[in-house]
Amino acid sequence: MEEIHLVSEALKFMVLGMIVVFIFLVVLVQLMKVQAKLVGKYFPEKKPVTKPTVQATDEKARTAAIIAAITEFNKNKS
Amino acid sequence: MKVKKLFLMLMLAFATLSITVQASEHAQSEATTEVTEEKVYESQGIGSMLINFYDTTGLKAIIQPQEGVKNGQGEEMSIFAQGFGRIMMFIIIGVLFYLAISKNFEPLLLLPIAFGGLLANIPIANMTSDHGMLGIIYNMGIANEFFPLLIFMGVGAMTDFGPLLSRPKTALLGGAAQFGIFGSLVGAAALSQYTGMVDFTLKQCSAISIIGGADGPTSIFIASALAPELLGAIAVAAYSYMALVPVIQPPIMRALTTKEERQIVMKSTRKVNRIEKLLFPLVVIAMTILVLPDATPLIGSFAFGNFAKESGVVDRLSNEMQNSLINIVTIFLGLGVGSTLASDKFLVVETLGIMIIGLLAFSAGTAAGVLMAKVMNKYSDEPINPLIGAAGVSAVPMAARVVSKVGSEEKPGNILLMHAMGPNVAGVIGSAVAAGVLLSIFK
Repeated sequence: MEEIHLVSEALKFMVLGMIVVFIFLVVLVQLMKVQAKLVGKYFPEKKPVTKPTVQATDEKARTAAIIAAITEFNKNKS
Repeated sequence: MKVKKLFLMLMLAFATLSITVQASEHAQSEATTEVTEEKVYESQGIGSMLINFYDTTGLKAIIQPQEGVKNGQGEEMSIFAQGFGRIMMFIIIGVLFYLAISKNFEPLLLLPIAFGGLLANIPIANMTSDHGMLGIIYNMGIANEFFPLLIFMGVGAMTDFGPLLSRPKTALLGGAAQFGIFGSLVGAAALSQYTGMVDFTLKQCSAISIIGGADGPTSIFIASALAPELLGAIAVAAYSYMALVPVIQPPIMRALTTKEERQIVMKSTRKVNRIEKLLFPLVVIAMTILVLPDATPLIGSFAFGNFAKESGVVDRLSNEMQNSLINIVTIFLGLGVGSTLASDKFLVVETLGIMIIGLLAFSAGTAAGVLMAKVMNKYSDEPINPLIGAAGVSAVPMAARVVSKVGSEEKPGNILLMHAMGPNVAGVIGSAVAAGVLLSIFK
């Protein structure tokens, strides 16, 4: 086997490697853009129906009512 | 104070050591009695019994090393590796314990690795042989490159590609940072060609340079494929430098950017559709199949983990990958890698070379990422803070956190974390691709 010049081999690896990495990522970027467009067109995300905050206060009111009822019940028991 | 802590840590290391040594001595002496019984046990005086017992102790093995003692792999160990080398390794392991416990440097991996190293350096017990615990673990999943892939699966299940999908072009920053790998490949080649300090082959250079990808599992995967003899040093270098990201990166980031650039505020990202996230791993797999089948083990398991997470129907599996599975594998991976920290393998001049090149690789990757981000900022219609280029080295999510920290130091309230996550996860893909290229060259 003939003597390999390490540095020049390494430089070749570098050129090949960086080219492949960049081609891979550039194509990936394009695919991501296309994908975003297609998905946006055919599967638009449904706006999640956000219930107004009344529900939260409802919940709080209910909790308060339950607590009150339990306290009353315990009081009557004793 | 620090010295005191270190001292305590070392004492702890030695205490553990002596306990383990005793345990292994016990096992050893039992084994020998069994053998001698089979050989016909001869009666002997208590004096000669004591002397014979002393011959089986670790104390003797370290203080009076014998010529021709073999290590777990059946190779002869030098006197230095048996005696003083072991003591040096115990000190190094003590330092690793200190870094892991007191400094919180990647403790999840450094601690098992260091403990594996401790066990691997115990004389006589030969835990790294094919029948020893460490040897079994090593053959089970490191020699055949299996454990790093399981880790990658878990990492995939933890990764959210949302930030990348919302701003696809930041993926290129993850590509630029891979210059760290190939730049240090040239550096390693130059080091062994011109200085004569070390004598690396091209395969070894490639295995070392992958440290620049800042990705532990990928480093271990490539090292065990291309240069298993350097695995211990490469893994220790990779994980130590990953832990040092908050120390290594900020000065480079500041040196390469102006104050105005660091203060750039980026626009908030759009919300990503769930279907996009679901399709993304499949797109990546498709690309890998077409361009670089050699990277499929890494990218395939990564994509599987991510697909399982994004599918939303197999939460049980995805939780398993993110938690129990990755934890179990981390234990095995750490101990297995630690088994390569035996004194006769680790205390060689190559280790020093690997440490130097690893640091170079990390810095080059960071610098390339930042420079690329500067260029993108010039030619892009929307502002890009060059700091996020530093997150192109894959150390997820540490590099992104460091970027965010530096950014908010420059301009309080400027949160770059989500913007930096894009290049960060692209860096994982980028280094897996770079690894695939290196593997394909040596096929």
